[in-house]
Amino acid sequence: MAVVEINNVNLTYRVLMNRRGSIRDLFKEAVAGRARIVNYVALQDVSFTVDAGEVVAILGRNGAGKSTLLKILAGVLPPTKGTVKVTGAIAPMIELGAGFHPEMTGAENVVFYSALMMRDIKKVKARVADIGEWAGVSDHMNFPLRTFSSGMIARLAFSTATDVQPEVLLIDEVLAVGDADFKEKSGARMTDLITSGAAVVLVSHDMVAVRRLANRAIWLENGHVRMSGEANEVVDAYEAG
Amino acid sequence: MKYAQLIKLLVARDLTIRYKRSVIGIGWTLLNPMLTSIVMWFVFSFVFASRLPSGQQFAPYLMAGILLNTFFNQGLMLSAESIASNGGVLTKIYVPPQIFAISSALAGLVNFFIGMIPLAVVCFLSGQSLAWSLPLVLIVGFCLAFLVAGLGLALSIVFIRFDDTRNIVNVLLMILMYLTPIFYPISVMNPTMQHIIRLNPLTSYLEVFRWAFSNNAFPTWHNWAYMFITAACSFILGASIFKKFWPRTVAML
Repeated sequence: MAVVEINNVNLTYRVLMNRRGSIRDLFKEAVAGRARIVNYVALQDVSFTVDAGEVVAILGRNGAGKSTLLKILAGVLPPTKGTVKVTGAIAPMIELGAGFHPEMTGAENVVFYSALMMRDIKKVKARVADIGEWAGVSDHMNFPLRTFSSGMIARLAFSTATDVQPEVLLIDEVLAVGDADFKEKSGARMTDLITSGAAVVLVSHDMVAVRRLANRAIWLENGHVRMSGEANEVVDAYEAG
Repeated sequence: MKYAQLIKLLVARDLTIRYKRSVIGIGWTLLNPMLTSIVMWFVFSFVFASRLPSGQQFAPYLMAGILLNTFFNQGLMLSAESIASNGGVLTKIYVPPQIFAISSALAGLVNFFIGMIPLAVVCFLSGQSLAWSLPLVLIVGFCLAFLVAGLGLALSIVFIRFDDTRNIVNVLLMILMYLTPIFYPISVMNPTMQHIIRLNPLTSYLEVFRWAFSNNAFPTWHNWAYMFITAACSFILGASIFKKFWPRTVAML
């Protein structure tokens, strides 16, 4: 059964040229009658499905629309046209640690971040110590986040985000974080999450990882699907040019 | 409601984060309206205190106005900014964005209720007693929260689209403050001005609030009706404006 299903999704950004967000400029340009709004097509007619247990990789150069596509799947960006249907709990692994606040303690941030991802905070509170320990920041959990090093913050965010097995996993380049040791540990956990039955959409430039993890791949070029199919074949074609 | 736990956390964060580094922490919520009131009392009591109807004290009259106006001004600005300032979250994790604006309004409401403790103290000190109608301040508070949340939702869209509107809104809020009988009794104005002041919805909220708290005003049923209608209209209109324009606005975050 398709857990993720998108049909003919289009996304057009309307860009105000010379946009400085000021009413005065807008007014001046409107009076001068200059064309102000330019439509920028980020995605055009993208359709695919992902079943439970399937890993689909999205390939493409910078600006091809990969991250936009993930945001549409995550529900944060409504498509201009087309339909998106995602069933089940989504874990958006898109720039981890969204909503972290420097003045709140490590523990408070874990709870808040989890609440943003719609987890039951009663369960999370019981898990806070374990989450901190897995991240290797147990001693710091009751200090404000601003006293953490950036590596520690990344580890805590990763540990929190991956604490629950989701039904849908959306990954934007977050396959491992931290120093060498932690990279190995987090990479292993990520592989576990990916291979344990969730529907996964993975954006990565790491072709080795894509070949290893993905069943299927979709190659995006300028917002279009250029190629779609078995992962190794698509990666071969993508790497060939 | 499945977003209740998130709203609770957001309100708690709004209330505490501002004072995280201060010594008396949330005590400032008690102290701030008092200090503002003392300053304004020194400035205005000579002019207006004697103009109040007999039996009414200027200090609680003034402080009630400041409390309500602070809730409106701060709540509205925080609520309107909340969507933009949480853009980092909203572009990564799906959360209904309205939650942030509503939580800011609710945080303002909690501050408003906390501020009634020093207001009660001032009431006693100036020899006035609290009214039997005190529980009705809950109604005023929630109506004002709806007003703030609705306006905040609509403004948040405008703020994201046009940066300059912040400054315009600040000026408008200042004008609105002077058109609210915070530190003057409405009777000192000429009839035309009185009419304009009564058109300001905040005047109705304030009249009802002062009456409910310590019988320090005499609201008519017009004031009650105006309060309910503006609260409902603001929230319904604000929420629908937000819903209509959000899909295009989120791309600008």
